[in-house]
Amino acid sequence: MHKVLLSLVPILLGSVYLFGLRTLALLAVVCITGCLVEYGAMRLINGSKAKVSEAALVSCFLFTLTLPPATPYWVAVLGIAFGLFFGKGVFGGFGKNIFNPALVGRCFVYISFPSYLTVRWTEPFSSFPGGLIRYDGGVDAIASATPMILAKSDAWSGGYLPLLFGNIAGSLGETSAILILLAAIYLIATKTASWKIITATAGSFLTLNAILYFSGVIAPDPLFSLMSGGFLFAVVFMATDPVSAPVLDQAKIAYGILIGLVAVIIRQYSLFTEGIMFAILIANAFGPLLERQIRQWTQRKKVAA
Amino acid sequence: MTAIRDWKIFKDNLMTQNPVFVQVLGICSTLAVTNVLKNTLVMCLGLIFVTTLSNLSLSLLRAWIPSRIRMMVEVLIIASLVIIVDICLKAYYPDISRQLGPYVGLIITNCIIMGRAEAVALTSPPRTALIDGISSGIGYSYVLLLIACCRELLGTGGIWGVRLLGQSWINWSIMVMAPGGFFVLAVFIWIVKGWIMRPVTGKAGA
Repeated sequence: MHKVLLSLVPILLGSVYLFGLRTLALLAVVCITGCLVEYGAMRLINGSKAKVSEAALVSCFLFTLTLPPATPYWVAVLGIAFGLFFGKGVFGGFGKNIFNPALVGRCFVYISFPSYLTVRWTEPFSSFPGGLIRYDGGVDAIASATPMILAKSDAWSGGYLPLLFGNIAGSLGETSAILILLAAIYLIATKTASWKIITATAGSFLTLNAILYFSGVIAPDPLFSLMSGGFLFAVVFMATDPVSAPVLDQAKIAYGILIGLVAVIIRQYSLFTEGIMFAILIANAFGPLLERQIRQWTQRKKVAA
Repeated sequence: MTAIRDWKIFKDNLMTQNPVFVQVLGICSTLAVTNVLKNTLVMCLGLIFVTTLSNLSLSLLRAWIPSRIRMMVEVLIIASLVIIVDICLKAYYPDISRQLGPYVGLIITNCIIMGRAEAVALTSPPRTALIDGISSGIGYSYVLLLIACCRELLGTGGIWGVRLLGQSWINWSIMVMAPGGFFVLAVFIWIVKGWIMRPVTGKAGA
């Protein structure tokens, strides 16, 4: 879990640079709430032996980085409290949750308060000291659309470079593809994140996207789809969550493929612009089933042989 | 003597045998109609009316109902009562009737009514059946009304259409949608079973 936190530091610095010091304030508020809620939930379960696990802190970091820069503090507080309590506490705490707590929290605020999470985006700072010396972008920077929203109406003309470096409107941690890829390399190299899940998800996502793109069904090309929105961030940090993802290798691959396909389908055929959050939660729900089924198949094979 | 027994039935149906949070029956309507208090109240009154009268009439008829076709007779009686409720609603409160949509008709399939009919009405004298029917209906209703209060307050910032939480309140849209019903019901069951009913179940175990 140390390694996940460490790999998030560059992304965090990047988002401070792009969106201002408010990011850090938001993170602090979320972490304090998260620790209190986690402690409260563990008190209910374990009594006086309650401890706050490091995983709660990881959830807080991940949750914060999925929020738009202008998210009000109270929305963030509600989200992380809901995520850690209902996504984790009620299942019995660390190691027992089927759903990713950070995503449960985000899903809750996303559906409850769509006005803050889907339409109020902030333009990033463009000149050098950027957000490192400023609190936030102010009122002027509010109400621009993200590349994904623009691409839906064919209005995105920025090309790939801004998507790579991240100077685009979007959620705090999701904009810069290059920082996320660096984190992914680090996590895979240190065997913290499962490369099987990452490649299966990205592979199925790209394949279905390419099929739809080249048959003329959808407008955004696969590379754009991969780098825009929260797909990369969610795949690297949320889909690979060791608690809510399956353990067996075949189950991991099936789980990844399911995430990739559902993400494309929700992106293209639903009212929501971004589908990866729902895709991972859906796949989380199917995780235990996949694992049980694959275990049965392998056992049957062994008996036959 | 009978008064004490009746009172016990009445009390049990409200708490220790509550149809919603102990027997977990009638959950479909609990989730579906509790987003607005007004609709919930209408639904609850309809349900109390139907359970009470169906229990009473089945109990009166129980000597003449052949057991092989008892289900059909039960459904026939329940359905006639539900149709009465539905027609009255359509005539006098067309707006609410439209908002409740199919759920009034679905009172027929509400597990509580069938359950009470099978378990109590066919085996008990009319007086017991009547009290059981009323108390089951009330036990169902007060839970639904409490849930509806929570959901409407958080989801729209007011109760019964009256704004209570001020202009700065931001509605939690999730509370008026189906997931909100699941969360509030779950929390309600948890609170009741975890804190209020623990002494009761503890004694039964010991």
